Amino acid sequence: MTYYMNRRLFLGTSAAALAAPAILRAQSGPIVLGTLTPLTGVGGTYGPAMRDAMLGVVSDVNAAGGVLGREVRVVSEDTQTSPEAAVRAARKLIDVDGVAAIMGTWASSVTTAVAPLCWESQTMLMCVSGADSITELPHGGYIARTQPNSKLQIRVAGEFMVEESATSMAWIGPQTPFAASSIEILEEIAAGAGGGMESLIYEADKSTYRSEVDQILRGNPDFVMLGGYAADSTVLLRDIWQAGYEGRIIGPAYAVNASVVETLPVEVLEGVFTWEGAPAVESAAYADVQRILGVEDVDPYSAQTYDHMSLAILAMAAAGEATGAAIRDTLRTVSQGQGEVVESAVAGLAALGEAVDYQGASGPCDFDEIGDITGTQFVFKRIEGGAPSVYKRV
Amino acid sequence: MDLLPQLLVNGIVQGTLLAIPAIGFTAIFAVLRFPNFAVASHATIGAFAGYAANVWLGLPAAPALVAAFLVAGLIGVLSDEVALRPLRPHGALTTAIASIALTIVLENVVRLIFGNDLRGYDLPIVRDWRWLGVRIGPQQVQNLAMALAIMAAVFATLRYTRIGKAMRAVADNPALAELKGIDPVTIGRITVFAGMGLVGAGGMLLGLGTSIDPLTGFRFILPIFAAAVVGGLGSIPGAALGAMVVGIGEELSLLVLSPAYKSAVGFVAIVLVLAFRPRGILGERAY
Repeated sequence: MTYYMNRRLFLGTSAAALAAPAILRAQSGPIVLGTLTPLTGVGGTYGPAMRDAMLGVVSDVNAAGGVLGREVRVVSEDTQTSPEAAVRAARKLIDVDGVAAIMGTWASSVTTAVAPLCWESQTMLMCVSGADSITELPHGGYIARTQPNSKLQIRVAGEFMVEESATSMAWIGPQTPFAASSIEILEEIAAGAGGGMESLIYEADKSTYRSEVDQILRGNPDFVMLGGYAADSTVLLRDIWQAGYEGRIIGPAYAVNASVVETLPVEVLEGVFTWEGAPAVESAAYADVQRILGVEDVDPYSAQTYDHMSLAILAMAAAGEATGAAIRDTLRTVSQGQGEVVESAVAGLAALGEAVDYQGASGPCDFDEIGDITGTQFVFKRIEGGAPSVYKRV
Repeated sequence: MDLLPQLLVNGIVQGTLLAIPAIGFTAIFAVLRFPNFAVASHATIGAFAGYAANVWLGLPAAPALVAAFLVAGLIGVLSDEVALRPLRPHGALTTAIASIALTIVLENVVRLIFGNDLRGYDLPIVRDWRWLGVRIGPQQVQNLAMALAIMAAVFATLRYTRIGKAMRAVADNPALAELKGIDPVTIGRITVFAGMGLVGAGGMLLGLGTSIDPLTGFRFILPIFAAAVVGGLGSIPGAALGAMVVGIGEELSLLVLSPAYKSAVGFVAIVLVLAFRPRGILGERAY
């Protein structure tokens, strides 16, 4: 407790000390923005590309003359995919570098830890995390995310199951913050389609789910959705296959991921569907990310951070002010509405005399009032011969 | 209720597998008189040693199980010498707490070597057999057979060999055993080797049908402890019986409880036994 008090006191004083120069700095010199991606740790496979996509946007913008007549400077920090390390890095970005926005936090736990620092210091936070709870925080508009929340993800997958003519659905997953809402959404979709829906919430971290599988398969579902993470999905997929189930299975791409595909025998995974939020592969913005990163397949997160940086720059330009509060206030002015459609920060800056509607590499980039993304595109994959291949995009 | 026969079969299989590490845990308690929670990491170590033997060296399940036993047993003795034996004179509670610390260290060593990824044994996967509406997998039957063979070997050793008799003597009355010329330190080492070996073999058996990661053993610590307490802490037949009670109880609970509360069965079993029969079903006599 004492430690907490001291830390708060320290924060308070340092924030006060820094506030005055920050206002002065805002008038001249470069505009400073922060990237905070997982360069190491579990998210380390994504973080470097996420950062590079943002650096690419900034170098294009600077080459075209900067924002508000000023150069944009980026400070990049590493979350280490750890909330503790991320909080230290975010403090440095906010207190030392005085950034107007922090972009690219990946893990939900990291975003949740960093969020209060951001809204208290009026720094905009743009993330790629999916937990429903993030945008329900009292962030006062300082959080926006380009990753669909788990409710939207479930709805899209439920509709996919109906389109694939599922008549009897089942959901089986562990007790998580989104288990109950997932079941509710699927029940609603199943009822709307005139089909049945069974659900079973099991205890995570068990070595076998044979009895649970027996129970859920009693209703003879023809489409089963997995609601867990990689460890329990591995066990479940094996148990379901051994039980002789012949119907279809769908699981989120983060649960039926590369390590699961590697661990399980090919026949167990044959025909299993996965889904995830997908970049807008047809868009000019996506082509721009391909150019920046020099890759053919852009991962969903790099596409999203490209949009973070583009949106932050456009919002500051539209507001005429390079602060977190300005980004918060004008984000939706540039991201949605009836304005001219622009697909990059440079194109948007050129068109900004009039209203613009930014459409990015990750999708249309429209936000609701609490900062959730609407209208994301999704990709469904089907595992064949031990490798997922694209089945459908919606 | 049509699920009842199936749940019974699942419970018997699970209970038999659980009995192996529970016997190891209770044997260590019987001789050394402290609950060694390092069984969690030793189950993981056994599972990974078996994995290495099976996947890297290409051995079939049964020889891999021997490797799991030997590696877990050896690491059990070494870590006990370094971390736990010096603390034993300071009391059971001190040693038990140290064993929790030890298990965290060992688990992270496994993580350092193998990483956090899931790993599966290299075994053919086959659909379950169905018979009278009840299904059972060939792998389950094989695991069941191996578990029963291990248990038979344990009971035979305790009953007919000098070492087994010496272990029982130390468990019954350490002072008297020492007077008779039985070295308690040597018997302690042998017990830890055999006990942790059993835990390691059990960890591999429990992981065979699924996939393993560094937390594999930790997931079983509650049912293992519950099995030992229910049967009577320190009683080896009791641990086997307790494992059946917990294993079958967990599966049958699905008839009345949401599967989300499966682990509650272990807790409830501990509470009931401590409330009504604190010495456990079979009491605390080792054998």
